[in-house]
Amino acid sequence: MDLYDPMMHVSSWIRQVGNLGLDLLWRFIHIVVSLWHIVFGIFEAIESYAISLGFDERYNSIDIKKLRCLAVAVDIADARDVANVIELLQWLTTIGVKQVGLYDSQGLLKKSKDLVLATVPGSFLLEENGKKDFSPDEKRIAIEFISSSDNKEAVMKAANILLQRYLKSSPPENNKGENFFTESHLSEALRVVGENGHVPDLLLVYGPIRSHLGFPAWRLRYTEIVHMGSLKYMRYGSLLKAIHKFTGVRQNYGT
Amino acid sequence: MSFPIVLTFLALILVFFLVPGLFISRRLRVSFSLTNIVRFIKIATSKYDDEEERNEKGSTMGEKVKRERHKMPKHVAVILDGNRHWAEKRGLGTSDGHEAGAKRLIENAKDCFAMGTNTISLFAFSTENWERPEDEVNCLMALFETNFKSEMPYFQREKIKISVIGNRSKISESLLSLIGEVEEATKSYEGKHIIIAIDYSGRFDILQACKSLAKKAKDGLIEVEDINEKAMEKELMTKCSEFPNPDLLIRTSGEQRISNFFLWQSAYSELYFPNVLWPDFGEAEYLEALTWYQQRQRRFGRRV
Repeated sequence: MDLYDPMMHVSSWIRQVGNLGLDLLWRFIHIVVSLWHIVFGIFEAIESYAISLGFDERYNSIDIKKLRCLAVAVDIADARDVANVIELLQWLTTIGVKQVGLYDSQGLLKKSKDLVLATVPGSFLLEENGKKDFSPDEKRIAIEFISSSDNKEAVMKAANILLQRYLKSSPPENNKGENFFTESHLSEALRVVGENGHVPDLLLVYGPIRSHLGFPAWRLRYTEIVHMGSLKYMRYGSLLKAIHKFTGVRQNYGT
Repeated sequence: MSFPIVLTFLALILVFFLVPGLFISRRLRVSFSLTNIVRFIKIATSKYDDEEERNEKGSTMGEKVKRERHKMPKHVAVILDGNRHWAEKRGLGTSDGHEAGAKRLIENAKDCFAMGTNTISLFAFSTENWERPEDEVNCLMALFETNFKSEMPYFQREKIKISVIGNRSKISESLLSLIGEVEEATKSYEGKHIIIAIDYSGRFDILQACKSLAKKAKDGLIEVEDINEKAMEKELMTKCSEFPNPDLLIRTSGEQRISNFFLWQSAYSELYFPNVLWPDFGEAEYLEALTWYQQRQRRFGRRV
């Protein structure tokens, strides 16, 4: 009994020291990985500047026709700084991108729509002009403004449309719903509620999180998703590189 | 004064020899390697953080953020890409690639659970995969049957719940029957869950949820006004899981798209696209994914 308390103290101390050692080792691993990312980031920055200055001939002519529809998802913190978004759109126009879906979850860019359209030369609202064709030499860019209300909320509204049709069908008790709940029906219902459903070939994500930030799920089936980092530190070379890499992608669509 | 210092040194020596020793003695079937030691370290530190969380009261934001960095993903989803390419690189047949992929699947599941993950979702066969050559499709279906049978003892021993999600209309009766047996035998297990997506499509998942809600509304079980996002999420196929939305979504082979997997559920999942083929994605690669995951900020569309 006399030895019990000191032994308990010792084992508790050993446990604490052991846990501290394990914790320090895990943090050390984090430091190593962080250093690797820093070094990698430096190399990426150098490469990006080299591309911007035209030192890499591969990026001087990009087959932009493969990129029919581009989407850009912006983190809400970055979306508050519209100037960066405008600069990005100007770069995209220079590269020759014809159609862009601009997304942020809270619709901040939707609210700045007028400013963006007034400031980006050659820009126009996609839904107003629809599928009007312009000559490839014209530096025009159609912009669609998207927010999270075009995602799950839109799917729910569309689902309600299909539901109403289903409930009104006769006789509903014999109908299991196969004729009402198909992909084409839901796509059509989404158009009715204003979710135009332009499916992007490539989604560029600007922000600290490498996720698609709640971009409309129905559109994302085979979209290439590239994380570009924060919009504050965007680089023209990185943008060119991402688009160039996309043009080399071969999808088999699961087959 | 020297006694505490001596004790500390002894403790450190014990830890660095005892830890690997314990590992060897308890896990004789696992090879002794640095990566396994690191895995054990991570388990220990995450448990340490869990204890801290349970004991914490009124901690500051700084401490909470610090603990956030040590959080492990509760639900990891994986798109198993690269089996065919792996086989081509080695001059092997496609079926060899899929067999290697199946073997890797079980090994990686063990690693995931060892790291504290609760749910693992595996995109094993997409709706589009039916368009592949008949031989390959038959090989994959046969692999599913073989592995369900051979791994059943492991699932029961480790108390892993198995759920299979997807459109079952094209699956053979024998495989359906086996799936039913495995799900029934493991349905009561908690804490570890493997969701296997066979003939799964994200769009189909959304549609079947809509259909399910429509049927409930028709039967008077819910009001039309109550049909919202939450109601939708309860009808998606991932409703079988305690954590339906993946924290981390991994797609191997370097392709950077989600290919119709968990379209609804992955809205805020961290996407990780390592340039390694699935049969080569081992514990070291998974450890890197976890480290990478922990380094990211996670904000669900709101400002922190």
